[in-house]
Amino acid sequence: MAEISFPLPDLGEGLIEATVLDWLVEPGQQVERNQPLVELETSKSALELPSPQAGKVVRIHGAPGDTINVGEPLIVFEVPDDTAGIVGTVPKDEAPKRRVRLSAVLDED
Amino acid sequence: MTGRHTVEHNRHTVEGTDPGLFVEVHEPAADAGLRPVLLIHGFSSSSKLNWADSGWITTLQDAGRRVITVDLPGHGRSHSPEDLDSYTPSRIRADLLQIVTDVGARPLRDGDSSTGLDLIGYSLGSRLAWEFGATQPDLVHRIVLGGPSSADPLAAFDLVAAQRHLADGTPIEDPSTAGLLKMAQMLPSNNLFAMLSLIEAIKGEPFDPAEAAPQVPLLLVAGEKDERAATMPELASIAGKRGGMVETLVIPGRTHTNVITSRAFKEAAVQFIGV
Repeated sequence: MAEISFPLPDLGEGLIEATVLDWLVEPGQQVERNQPLVELETSKSALELPSPQAGKVVRIHGAPGDTINVGEPLIVFEVPDDTAGIVGTVPKDEAPKRRVRLSAVLDED
Repeated sequence: MTGRHTVEHNRHTVEGTDPGLFVEVHEPAADAGLRPVLLIHGFSSSSKLNWADSGWITTLQDAGRRVITVDLPGHGRSHSPEDLDSYTPSRIRADLLQIVTDVGARPLRDGDSSTGLDLIGYSLGSRLAWEFGATQPDLVHRIVLGGPSSADPLAAFDLVAAQRHLADGTPIEDPSTAGLLKMAQMLPSNNLFAMLSLIEAIKGEPFDPAEAAPQVPLLLVAGEKDERAATMPELASIAGKRGGMVETLVIPGRTHTNVITSRAFKEAAVQFIGV
């Protein structure tokens, strides 16, 4: 098994941070791609962030009320080695449905 | 992208002009056979921000509901007409009626749960839903109002102070006006001229909940910390006096802005209209 970490993605509209309202998943839970992960509030609105991929949640970052900056760690998944691929790639099982989505940027570090 | 299609701008015009409202119909994967649901977003928001990004459309689709979304004039992907008439609440309600009719909503018929229309509104959208429900009793089945208020902060907006502020930066004294103007300026997708036109049009037709109240079952939902919805009990009382069934739900810890993503809100709404 491999771990893959996703940071808070660029939410558009020039937003640089978001506040955690409520997590909708917890460590140990198996989630599907596009399943809502967390409710976030920005200076403009509140939104749900869909999961960028299927996998088991290993860690979540930020308790309700905590502010997370774009690019900071948000969630870590455990995925089978053969689907983890090169660290930093996004699995290509289907076209994303939402404009707001997570993407890994570890390869840019 | 499945289960969703964009309808052409309403095929029939009201009063001979087309305000160019952006309409989408979101089909469920497995249709529960129930009437469609019309979602009406709030001031300076859009169907995308208010209903899509917040998870409402997928929640309703998962419950087997067919969902109609409309961007208000000057908001989201709708046009920003130049004439003030396109922004009046009465005209917007007439356009909404034409739109839902064009996409297949039919008058209520006893014993047929596919007829009629359920409404979910948020903030300004709640005001519009209240009036739409009051004036279309043959069509509207049940109504859910989020962040509702018996007052009308948009009608109380100080338009002169806002225009002066935009012209030369003079500070705005009224905090509600300053807050609403900040909201209107926040989204690049929203046209400021159109936002101010909408406010001007609303000033001509301020919300008077007692003038016409819906008599169908109502669910009123607000965050515990939502100051704009502090008058929600008054709305419940007005509707209750008309003999309609009224339920209220207060979501702990939530504000006017962030109650929208609340699971408790969504679950209560889905259950309330799912009959």
